[in-house]
Amino acid sequence: MRFSLLLSLGTVSAAALRKVTTDDYVWQIDPFKCTQCGRCATECVMSPSAVKCVHAFDLCGYCDLCGGYLKPDANARSTAAENQLCPTAAIERRFIEEPYFEYHIDEDLCIGCAKCVAGCTSFGNGSLHLQIIHDICLNCNECSIARVCPSDAISRVPASEAYKVKGSWTNPT
Amino acid sequence: MTIRKLNIILIAVGTIALVTLFWWLSADPTKDFTVNLEGADNRGEGVAFVQDVNIGEYFEEFSTDYKPLNETWTNFRGADYDNISKSPVKLIDKFGPEGPKIMWSVELGEGHSGAAIYKGLAYILDYNEEERADRLRCFSLLDGTEQWSRGYDVAVKRNHGMSRTIPAVTEDYIVTIGPKCHVMCLDRETGNFRWGLDIVKEYQNEIPFWYTGQCPLIDNNVAILAAGGSKMMVAVDCESGEKLWETPNPNGWKMSHSSVIPFTFGGRKMYVYSAIGGLLGVAADGPDVGTILWETNAWTHSVVAPSPLCMPDGKIFVTAGYGAGSMMVQLHENNGEFSVEVIDEYTPKDGLACEQQTPIFWNGYLFGILPKDGGPLRNQLVCVNPADTKKVVWSSGKETRFGLGPYFIADNKMFILNDDGTLTIARPSTEKYIQLDQVKVIEDGHDAWAPFALADGYLLMRDSKTMVCIDLNK
Repeated sequence: MRFSLLLSLGTVSAAALRKVTTDDYVWQIDPFKCTQCGRCATECVMSPSAVKCVHAFDLCGYCDLCGGYLKPDANARSTAAENQLCPTAAIERRFIEEPYFEYHIDEDLCIGCAKCVAGCTSFGNGSLHLQIIHDICLNCNECSIARVCPSDAISRVPASEAYKVKGSWTNPT
Repeated sequence: MTIRKLNIILIAVGTIALVTLFWWLSADPTKDFTVNLEGADNRGEGVAFVQDVNIGEYFEEFSTDYKPLNETWTNFRGADYDNISKSPVKLIDKFGPEGPKIMWSVELGEGHSGAAIYKGLAYILDYNEEERADRLRCFSLLDGTEQWSRGYDVAVKRNHGMSRTIPAVTEDYIVTIGPKCHVMCLDRETGNFRWGLDIVKEYQNEIPFWYTGQCPLIDNNVAILAAGGSKMMVAVDCESGEKLWETPNPNGWKMSHSSVIPFTFGGRKMYVYSAIGGLLGVAADGPDVGTILWETNAWTHSVVAPSPLCMPDGKIFVTAGYGAGSMMVQLHENNGEFSVEVIDEYTPKDGLACEQQTPIFWNGYLFGILPKDGGPLRNQLVCVNPADTKKVVWSSGKETRFGLGPYFIADNKMFILNDDGTLTIARPSTEKYIQLDQVKVIEDGHDAWAPFALADGYLLMRDSKTMVCIDLNK
């Protein structure tokens, strides 16, 4: 009886281990190639898109004047809707202490439009960037975004390294 | 179907329609929406702690031994504020197989402050991160031996570096502005303290984002400072610290990262400043010294780092980053009255625009490096004619892009520093980009944005943490 249980447990564990170490591939965005064209929001078969903005906190400058949060030449550096760059208010801004502010992405609200990524890349450290979220992504055989990506930023990567998050992941070139 | 049944159906349908209409009109489809109002970030109210700073309180002398030299680089963009060296010293146009001849290097606090040079001595306003203090440090230009330092305690948190400005130096005086708008005036050679001015306390101005970037100006032994706050511009006698004049600030314009630029046009000398809120010219002499000669609020952006570029025909080119783009204005003079006309305004992808550095006016053309949001020509060095700054005469090409680092002209060569400490030598031309050489000077360089200083063939440049002196003599 014990042997049978041990054998069953071992088989299940081996199967689970095989699943995570196998050479499966998933789609992912290279944030250093991404040109923030906005197509991730419109071309994904999921609605809203499986592409979301993620934030590399170790790169962020925690600026009051954040190019990813505020519209260019916003009337005020405040959380009022008219000053926010994000069309769905998916970025939450919190005051930490002078002069620092922290920015969080609400994944449920994010549509992957990359407006904030463009602002952060142009005027900041580029800590805001896009990633395909794998618990949303259907992992289509032919990714509809990859087909139209103008910078070939989307490619298959090993499932064991499913994310290319800036900061912890550095551009190999 | 009987009429009775038909009436029942019609009444039922009518009732359902009425109920549906009532529901449709009374339902609020936005009831689950969250209204985004200001204050949701819980921003703190004002400045929580104002430090009582004793400007110039500390002095340390390390050496009195240095070799006097001949030339100077007295302030931001050099003595003529054009970033073009007039020195006759011949400079190399290639580094050779052994690479750049680095005379010395020194570790600095994280920042982007640049050096000024006066006859063999180099001055830089550093931030000492351990002591949490602004320190004006004086080095021998030839060998980097530190001569003395004077400074004061001031708490500055890391915010894309701390230091950002370049001292102004004359034969007798040095004037500095620290990250939090503390002005310090010293005797140039000895470092003896003359006077200090806390602009925030005196004029209730707002410290610019990422700290002060304005470099002070000394004109005829008078320090000219753009304050913002209760006064727009002030003049302080270097010898005594006495305030000679103060320009009112009726518009409530704020201090930017831009610096005050002296300019003569229409028979009047003036100080031109690109504030947060607008562009203005202040009389630099005469009975109305310190009064506003002209102003325009057509140029208003939340961050302005480059300084106004004034051209002999009265054109003034202003540019800024963070999506602002550029504007060209034309100054007019009529019987001593000045007016300003906007000639052109455009976004950064449509013409010459710069985020941090001020472009160069050379041989009738403008040269600058486009920002990251500069469209297909982003990060390229471009040349334009001031008559049409949207029409690019040439660009350095998509294989030759730069960053936010400085560029200037000396001995008919243009020196360009990339963010990572790579130094490029190019031949200035109004016809095409001509690259002569390129070499990595600072290994693992990062954010090399401070303007250059050059004297006697020795170039001072830095990245965020290291300053190096290179011998460029031919």
